[in-house]
Amino acid sequence: MTGPKLEQRIEPEEELALPNVLTTRLDLALNWFRKSSVWYLLFATACCGIELMQTGGPRTDLDRFGAVFRSSPRQSDLLIVAGTITYKMADRVRLIYNQMPQPKYVIAMGSCANCGGLFTPSYSVVNGVDKIIPVDFYLPGCPPRPEALNEALIKVQEKIQGEPWFKKIKVAR
Amino acid sequence: MDAAQIHARLVERFAEAVLGFEQELIDPAIAVAAGRIREIAQYLRDDAALQMDFLRCLTGVDRRETLEVVYHLLSTVHLHTIVLKVQVAPDGARVDSVWDLWRTAEWYEREAFDLLGIGFTGHPDLRRIMMPDDWEGHPLRKDYVFSGEYHGITAERSDGLDAFGAPATDKKAAQARGAAAAAAPPSAEEPSATAATVSAEVAETTSPVEPPVAAEKTPRIDEPGESPSTGKASRLSPPTAFQPAMHTAKADPVEGYIQLNMGPHHPASHGVLNFLLFTDGEILSRVIPDVGYLHRGMEKLAESMPYASTMPYTDRIDYLASMFGNWGWALAAEKLLGIEVPPRAEFCRVIAGELNRIASHLIGTGSTSLDLGAFTPFVHWLRERETVNDIMEMICGARLTYNYMRIGGVARDISQQVVDKTRRWLDHFLGIIDEFDRLISFNEIFVKRLANVAVISPQDALSWGLVGPNLRASGVAWDLRRAEPYSVYPELQFDLVLGKGWRGQVGDAYDRFYCRIEEMRQSVGILRQAFDRMPEGEIRAELPRKIKPAANEVYSRVESARGEMGFYVVSDGTDKPYRARYRTGSFTSMSIIEHLSPGLMVADLVALIGSLDVIAPEVDR
Ligand code: SF4
Repeated sequence: MTGPKLEQRIEPEEELALPNVLTTRLDLALNWFRKSSVWYLLFATACCGIELMQTGGPRTDLDRFGAVFRSSPRQSDLLIVAGTITYKMADRVRLIYNQMPQPKYVIAMGSCANCGGLFTPSYSVVNGVDKIIPVDFYLPGCPPRPEALNEALIKVQEKIQGEPWFKKIKVAR
Repeated sequence: MDAAQIHARLVERFAEAVLGFEQELIDPAIAVAAGRIREIAQYLRDDAALQMDFLRCLTGVDRRETLEVVYHLLSTVHLHTIVLKVQVAPDGARVDSVWDLWRTAEWYEREAFDLLGIGFTGHPDLRRIMMPDDWEGHPLRKDYVFSGEYHGITAERSDGLDAFGAPATDKKAAQARGAAAAAAPPSAEEPSATAATVSAEVAETTSPVEPPVAAEKTPRIDEPGESPSTGKASRLSPPTAFQPAMHTAKADPVEGYIQLNMGPHHPASHGVLNFLLFTDGEILSRVIPDVGYLHRGMEKLAESMPYASTMPYTDRIDYLASMFGNWGWALAAEKLLGIEVPPRAEFCRVIAGELNRIASHLIGTGSTSLDLGAFTPFVHWLRERETVNDIMEMICGARLTYNYMRIGGVARDISQQVVDKTRRWLDHFLGIIDEFDRLISFNEIFVKRLANVAVISPQDALSWGLVGPNLRASGVAWDLRRAEPYSVYPELQFDLVLGKGWRGQVGDAYDRFYCRIEEMRQSVGILRQAFDRMPEGEIRAELPRKIKPAANEVYSRVESARGEMGFYVVSDGTDKPYRARYRTGSFTSMSIIEHLSPGLMVADLVALIGSLDVIAPEVDR
């Protein structure tokens, strides 16, 4: 038994308080909460979506980072555009993005979402999702490996951690 | 009966309506008069000795002076095939519809209308299928040039280079400067304008429904002038009001029914598929599938590059079963060139293909359970699939888009290490399938969701052109590995898995689901045999440096995880295909949903889509 005994935990108030208090800036604390629960939208348009699925699966396991998938844009913080966007789809992507609450982040996953990729010469493919919505991170690959997507998520977390959160809220209003 | 005999019969019966016979083609074709196609098609379908009960593929080819409609017919009873061809004039092109002879033709004809501007007289619902309703021109026409802009989204690259990364030509540079950002390049103006008038005219005269008009109905990007990557305002712009962009009389509101839109972003819709639902409470009165949200124009791209360069694109036709895209394309080129593939390469192909079939069925069955609310089985399958991905990586270096096969063979040999690892995994995997069965397949709630839901009769399955496990679940013993054997499949033992009505009727959603589970067991058996029999030797045939097949036409087909995957390739003697056409299983499975849906519950629709295992890129290509 290494843990403290029950009687030992009930201590005089001043002694109890000291080891359990942590001082920090409010921004840091809030960002820490936010980055530990980046919920992403299940938005798989093409091949990259399969790798997105595998990334959510047991081996790479995005859940470790508090990132779980949501089916509704209204509950998501992160839009991972996994796959090709066509002109026919473009309006809907914009709509989905607009439905997400602020603050929101976008990863363009795969060459198609970055710039059109393999399908740049095609008549029906949008050459990069940044022509429709703003993008925070570009993830190259065709498709990117789950490890790469994992890295991109960590990048998003880093970005969140560094943000002056209150300022951002003001901008949004 | 071979093609010559079929031709003789047609000549005997229709005399002057039979215009020609191209016997020298790999798949011989009979040219018939445009006005008589319906009559001839009906005869071919109904004559007892011919019984062409299956329309494999219907498409068009732009021959510049004329448009050609091509019908690939098959008799599953007599095992013979024939190709019919009809020539029509490009302006105001029109031919009789055969949609009621083979119901699958309804969607094929819509596709031919959309991409080539061919009109079909008597078609019930002739409107665009792949492209948006307000799209201009028909992309698969040879003279089609994309205007470079749609709803304010331009196709330019920010670095000013052209699509292939080369310095832009003067014309494009001028466009980049904004001189003519919205307007089509002058050379394109005339053809696209003609095509647009033609299509409007065709729609007016042939279709009983309203022609697709009212471009303003489509939701537009709200601020076309502003690039969202630069402007902050667009980030905050109000959401656009949503309206379904389906201009058809069918989609008009019906008194007493709720109109509901499902997709194109929907967690249970297997990619970007859209459905317009008419429901009376929980009961569906009609479901109209709307596809084309992932139409990437692969057929047009194939026309612009050498045969070998198309290989990576075929990975992406069906990314869950990329090997079969590779395989079909390689087979098409090999048939055109007349090359033999070395035996070891054939075994490599079979091994890679069957592994891929397992990987694909893992997602097919797993996502069915996920859609019906069971998450755990899906995660089990994802774990198993990671091992398949590892093996695939050892074989070809990629996890998903394999690009493994080459014209004349395969890219890399399969090493002993791979064989050992796969063998170990297969032993483990057979046990896991049993576990999966106990966990979900025989779970009472799950069974009740699928059994007796959306039953497809064998006649319907053939008429709608279903293939693969969906067709076999209806009790039709049709598998290309058996019926039209290719590669080394004749040497390998395996059983055809047919729907038996395991928990309900033959051809219900449960049969379709369980057929896939059983097929995985069969694939394990095939893999073990292939490992035992694999000979030593070369993995690639000798090829000319430049692949330039003689002018010919071929329809190569392989049994993919989603059934027959066909590649109709027209070669004109140059190093690029004149026309490439991909026939896929999901396209036809998608088209049957409208027929099956009346009377189903809304939740059954999810079960139906899951059990058909449709996948968006295969529908749209
Ligand atoms: S980047 Fe490659 S893998 Fe991803 S969607 Fe595009 S083609 Fe598919």
